[in-house]
Amino acid sequence: MSRATDAAVAEVSDLRVEIDGRAIVDGVNLRVLPGKVTALVGASGSGKTTTGLALLGEYPAGARVTGEIRRTGDGPVGYVPQHPAAVLNPARRVGALLHDIARPQVRHLPRAERRGAARELVLRALADAQLPDGEAPLRRHPHQLSGGQQQRVVLAQALLLGARVIVADEPTTGQDALTKSRIVEQLAAVAARGIAVVLLSHDLDVVRVLADEVLVMRAGRVVESGPVERVWAAPRHEWTRRLLDEQRAAPQGTQSAEAGQPVLTVSDLTAVHDRRTAVLRVPRLALHPGECLAVVGRSGSGKTTLARCLAGLHRDHDGEILLDGTPLPRSLRHRDRAQLAAVQYVFQDARAAFDEHRPVLHQVARTAIRLRGIGERAATDEASTTLNRLGLAADLTHRRPGELSGGELQRAALARALLARPRVLICDEVTSGLDTVTRRGILDVLAGLVGEGDDLSLVLITHDLDTARLAHRIAVLDAGELVEQGSAQRILTKPRHPFTISLMETTERLETGTVAGARM
Amino acid sequence: MSPLRSFVARRLLLGVAQTMAVVLLVFALTEALPGDAAVALAGDQPDPARIAAIREAMDLDRPAYERLADWATGLLHGDFGTSLASGRPVTQYIADGFGPTLILAALTLALLVPLGFGLGVLAARHEGRLIDRLVSSVTLAVYAVPEFALGVLLVTVLALKLAWLPPTAVGYGTDLLGHPAALVLPVLVLLSRPVCSLSRLVRAGMVDALASPYAAHARRYGVPGARVRYTHALPNALAPAAQQLARTVDWLLCGVIVVEALFVIPGLGTVLLNAVAERDVPVVQGLAVVFGVLTVVLNLGADLVAHRLTPRAGVAA
Repeated sequence: MSRATDAAVAEVSDLRVEIDGRAIVDGVNLRVLPGKVTALVGASGSGKTTTGLALLGEYPAGARVTGEIRRTGDGPVGYVPQHPAAVLNPARRVGALLHDIARPQVRHLPRAERRGAARELVLRALADAQLPDGEAPLRRHPHQLSGGQQQRVVLAQALLLGARVIVADEPTTGQDALTKSRIVEQLAAVAARGIAVVLLSHDLDVVRVLADEVLVMRAGRVVESGPVERVWAAPRHEWTRRLLDEQRAAPQGTQSAEAGQPVLTVSDLTAVHDRRTAVLRVPRLALHPGECLAVVGRSGSGKTTLARCLAGLHRDHDGEILLDGTPLPRSLRHRDRAQLAAVQYVFQDARAAFDEHRPVLHQVARTAIRLRGIGERAATDEASTTLNRLGLAADLTHRRPGELSGGELQRAALARALLARPRVLICDEVTSGLDTVTRRGILDVLAGLVGEGDDLSLVLITHDLDTARLAHRIAVLDAGELVEQGSAQRILTKPRHPFTISLMETTERLETGTVAGARM
Repeated sequence: MSPLRSFVARRLLLGVAQTMAVVLLVFALTEALPGDAAVALAGDQPDPARIAAIREAMDLDRPAYERLADWATGLLHGDFGTSLASGRPVTQYIADGFGPTLILAALTLALLVPLGFGLGVLAARHEGRLIDRLVSSVTLAVYAVPEFALGVLLVTVLALKLAWLPPTAVGYGTDLLGHPAALVLPVLVLLSRPVCSLSRLVRAGMVDALASPYAAHARRYGVPGARVRYTHALPNALAPAAQQLARTVDWLLCGVIVVEALFVIPGLGTVLLNAVAERDVPVVQGLAVVFGVLTVVLNLGADLVAHRLTPRAGVAA
């Protein structure tokens, strides 16, 4: 079934994009066929987004561009960025831009009918983007929509525009398995309408399920391309093989440290938002020294709230949190230095967690000065050793955060937390948003930390069961309730609660590629 | 209760509390002044017997809290007391002075809003180019000139040397609208600095908004440039400008003493100046309360506008 004779709706030939003499995309050829999903995969910084934006005719500021982009279809190109909230206007209701897009399409009608007709078009586009009850979201501001709804609104804009090509940039990054499978179905439905979808992703499960053609990129070049089945079954390039291999985490040994006094216990915790809405109920949860506990759940299930309660960042709860048998004050402000040092938190967005104006090394060393009261020189030495141990070269540590990649910064954030010599380290989605190779690196670092034997306990907050494999024990949260907890092996092989089972099944379906509607 | 309504209710309650605080503060400050109204009224021959007589006549010998209660009850009924100097009610003074002040403020505001926003958007559109640099440097230069200096300069050049406009409003009384030529110079002086601060704020907000991903997204999907600028980018640049506008209106309404004195306009500023000179404490107190309440109300309005323009801020607060 050779489709090479089909008319491509967009074609990129020999594209080269250069910034300050450095090529970020080099010699890329790409044919985008109607009704097909073309995936660009690769680590972050491999040139996926630059290639995708080139299809829209957009380039980074100051770029030198050679090569050719041909769009045979006369329709415009739609774009669904990684963070849909960024392209939604915070000060306007969601309907504002949609109506502006619909406006030229109803210009031929008499003035009196235009408003109604535009509304009709907008609602149909929202329904096509799987927001069937479109009236309500139209009147909302973007921050009042969930991440999934925001994404569908942005997709509806592209559909309303009548785009023949839609570029979707990392649509599933940072989403839980159930949401991911819904996004996959949504994009498959878009392709089924005869629209060409260009998928930029480092999520290989999703690419495998969704894509027809795949291009593997590395350092701005396409190292391998072909139908997705062929690339998966018989990768030709060594880099593709590495990318595919590193996807799966090795399951942690089951040497769970159940014995002895728990380092942290939570009992009868009910956390509320706005003084009344209960968002989390945890009757009992214990963390033993040297243990890694994964807290798994969908977005909005309360897992970050749990982490914030432990760290003293969320004080509206009535539970008791004991550290080595003594109660921890609810609010960070009332914890003393030793208690602050004992529970450390690493955030999802490492870039936002650093001051962009000071070198990373200083910021990492600061923890030891503040929380352990050691001298500046000793702290800097220790910071530098820890950073090296986590895989950051000495010359990198003297740079400012802006000059480090996401994965490097996440390592620095871990090092910063470790400099407090914590008993408990809370990692909140520290690997989501990273590509597979970088994620693997961070997970190895975490596994190493637990294995080092100095009784550091880890709380991994994650939506990703692959990441949870790293843990000794798993606790599953759904809609604010702790529905199941047990050893990782037990939960991953013999889940009991219906929610855990459905989470496992969806993950497996994504891995084996049998999501409804994605394969024809 | 919806978040917006509870926000408005909270802000209104806060406004009431602020107003009460203003009344208390004004009373406390006048109490703290050295001497009292009786000493002031006794004039150049401070005869102790006479002072005591006046004190008794004005109830100044009663305890402070009783007088505060009386005064506050009077305020609630719109009774601001009577002037010591003339015996006329304080409300009369305020009503007389408010007319000219309101005319000046309204005219200034009517010119300020289009000018300030227009210049700001214009500069932002041409960011870094000649027009932007021209607008930015001129606004900065004008902003650096104080009102009295600019006023004297304009009077010297336009009124005295060229004789195009009358130098002051002497002789026109409160009937300023009948003599529009007399209003030109004061309004120009009043406009000068607010236009600069407003346009610079709008420019900064618009530069950010125009460079934002959502503006790029709207342009990408074929929304015309003017529509992107005014309906998509501008709302994001408005919040700080609205706050600044409230401060400016407050400044205009609370009697711009320098400008009124310079052009001899009988507005609230002049009333305040005379009352202070005559130690006419009830008038000063009444004006202070009016100014305080105006400030509270205007800032309340600005907060509501800002809340509408930055819906997310309400979530974070």
